[in-house]
Amino acid sequence: MQLKRILVAVAGTSVDPDVIRLAVSLAKPAKAEIMAVHVIEVRWNLPLDAVLEPELDHGEELLANAAKVAEQAGLRIETELLQAREAAAAIIDTARERAADLVMLGMPYRTRLGRVHVGKTVQNVYVGAPCAVLAYRQEAPQ
Amino acid sequence: MRDEGPPREPEMPSLEKREWHAGRKPGDRSVRIVRPGASMFRRADGQYIATEQVLEPTGPYGRAWARVRRALVGRPLELGAEEGQRVSPLTGLAVLAPSNVSSSAYATEEMMRALAFGGFAALVLAPPLALAVVAVLALIVVSESRVIRAYPNGGGSYLVARTDLGIGPGLIAAAALLVDYILTVAVSAAAGVIAISSVLPHLAEQRVAIGVGLVALVALTHIRGVREAGLLFAGPTYTYIAAIVALIGVGLARVMSGDVPAAALPQGGAVTPGLEAVGILLLVRAFSAGAVALTGSEAAANVVPAFKAPQERNATVTLVLMTGSLAVMFLGLTFLAVRIGVVPDPAEVESVNSMLARSVFGDGSLGHLVVQLTTAVFLLIAANTGFSGFPRLAAVLANDRFMPRHFADMGSRLSHSFGIIALAVIAGLVIVVFGGSVSALVPLYTIAVFLSFLLSQTGMLRRTLRGRERARPVWLALHALGAAIMAGLVLAIAITRIQQAWFALLLIPLLVGLLYSVRRHYRDVEDALTLPGPAAAIPRLQPPVVIVPVGRLDRAAIQALAFARSISGTVKAVHISTSRETGAEFGRRWARLVPDIPIDLIDSPYRSLLAPLLKYIDAIDKSDDRPITVVIAEFVPRHWWEWLLHSQTATRLKAALLFRPNTIVIDVPYHFEDTADLARRR
Repeated sequence: MQLKRILVAVAGTSVDPDVIRLAVSLAKPAKAEIMAVHVIEVRWNLPLDAVLEPELDHGEELLANAAKVAEQAGLRIETELLQAREAAAAIIDTARERAADLVMLGMPYRTRLGRVHVGKTVQNVYVGAPCAVLAYRQEAPQ
Repeated sequence: MRDEGPPREPEMPSLEKREWHAGRKPGDRSVRIVRPGASMFRRADGQYIATEQVLEPTGPYGRAWARVRRALVGRPLELGAEEGQRVSPLTGLAVLAPSNVSSSAYATEEMMRALAFGGFAALVLAPPLALAVVAVLALIVVSESRVIRAYPNGGGSYLVARTDLGIGPGLIAAAALLVDYILTVAVSAAAGVIAISSVLPHLAEQRVAIGVGLVALVALTHIRGVREAGLLFAGPTYTYIAAIVALIGVGLARVMSGDVPAAALPQGGAVTPGLEAVGILLLVRAFSAGAVALTGSEAAANVVPAFKAPQERNATVTLVLMTGSLAVMFLGLTFLAVRIGVVPDPAEVESVNSMLARSVFGDGSLGHLVVQLTTAVFLLIAANTGFSGFPRLAAVLANDRFMPRHFADMGSRLSHSFGIIALAVIAGLVIVVFGGSVSALVPLYTIAVFLSFLLSQTGMLRRTLRGRERARPVWLALHALGAAIMAGLVLAIAITRIQQAWFALLLIPLLVGLLYSVRRHYRDVEDALTLPGPAAAIPRLQPPVVIVPVGRLDRAAIQALAFARSISGTVKAVHISTSRETGAEFGRRWARLVPDIPIDLIDSPYRSLLAPLLKYIDAIDKSDDRPITVVIAEFVPRHWWEWLLHSQTATRLKAALLFRPNTIVIDVPYHFEDTADLARRR
């Protein structure tokens, strides 16, 4: 597969830097571009374009950190901050709009009832994304 | 809540734009937060924080200058990095000690020189006098450590005198300290040049240039930050202390083992003793000469905020280390000089310390060379103290509105760079004016230092009188004694060295007057700008009368007229022509192209453009109550050198209107790259 544009969803979990580094390692040989996206999920009782100061601050910080990690790994990346009712739908729409060839998501190692838990955003992006999806699950703690 | 879509009214311009995006499904709408300047302005706690990137210049010249600046001064530091720029006592010693400790290089000599007027026998009085000076030094150390504790924000004598005695004495102390710092820099740079030229005599002719260069060098290291200056100068400071301590150690060991070295004679020639009787005046003169060892000990109290936490403790430790090492060196050198029998050189070619080193280590020995070299380098950097004290004192004064505000601003490296540059410029001027020979100014700055000590001692005395601390009588006695000694020293210098000290006695009141007038100006400005009440609403102004001077009917003029019409309904153009024919021709063109804006055509047979225009504005202003706004069209060429090809009428007009009351001047620049697409702009 010839990669041209990779979209990385940054959720603010401990696995984010690993996903960014992995994306850089995939993008560099293919000379592909990377775009990091963070989606602020807006509750239904608020307008979609509500100014959510703490979430905006946090989102911007996450994206700045992602850009820093990518730069340390040797690539400048584009970042985008979005507000949506559901993160998965916004990620899928952005992937389609920007013609991404690959969407990458990180999954922190979490278990529920003894099984690894896959969050709804990862599940929905897996199902709905028009392009390839790569979900990176954090290794299990020793 | 249903997602209605973007709001209908025009959006307020902001660093953040929200773009609505329809998703594939009705519920999948999203809002993209577009931040055009995201790399320049970081978000945090509901505010924007300008990042280092905003400092990046865009043009090639700006970038080149930024690179040079970064190489010289270093990367800009964030405000939070201030803690990293603070110094430990050991680094602080390297920055503050030079002025104080370097006096060990000449205090003994000055004292012996004064005593020599009473004959060689009088020189035996040097050690007891040195002990007396050290006792006063101890008194100052105790008192200054109390100042440090009482005024942990620095400011030293100025703050003590200002708080405890009043503004007048505070300003006298401040003026005295400012003079002291300026002259410390000038004198030490001159001493450094002498030290260099005694090794390389052919450089003596360029002493002014070298002196100014040295000042610039020390200034540059201080702009990089106190800590870096301290690290850079720590080597010379500690080597000097080690060399002198070694000299004293070896000398004392030889004296005690009975192997008293033979006194080296001055290289300058034979010595003839003075014939003055050993009276009280001689003793006073010798004591005041030796008291030069006290100078520089005020520095620690002035720069307390420069230290790492616990600041007061670290400042006091530095003060004790600094004065302790000075006391050891001063006493040791004086004792050795008298015991060995070294006498000061009347020709002032060789210093007493050099002769001592020759006596102890031998003529032409490595020890002598090391002592001389380290002394030279150390004197060279004594300017350090001035550069650490002046900017901080100036900042304290600027915060109190006694000095221009820029002195309180921190530069990109968190140093008070304006104060540093100002000090370098003034000290450089002093060196140039005095032709690099500023040793005559030494009494001037000693009187300044003693005056500031006198005021801080008196201030502390008053403070102790008012307070209720433990051991109050002890502190009272201490400060009273300190004040009395300092008053005596000021008088002694003023009387015995009036030929040199008059300058200080003139300069200090002048400076005080200057500081007062700066404060008066700021107070007037504040009165003029203060809001009249707690709920001062923004007044509603009527639209102004807009005057648009038009030289040519071109794209720049059209853009200015379009802008003028957007702010007011009363727009009038004015054209100044140098002949009646061209004026009439311009009028016809105007009527054809801009029929809806009235124009006044003025013929100026004396070919002056500005004068008739200014008088025209005056006349319109008199005939109408509304405020006048002058909208100026200005063409901006692509490169700076292309400015030379244009007549700069707009710039001259702006300058002329700047001081005209009740006139708003609006500059509408038309850049070379601009298109004439005015419709798009609207």
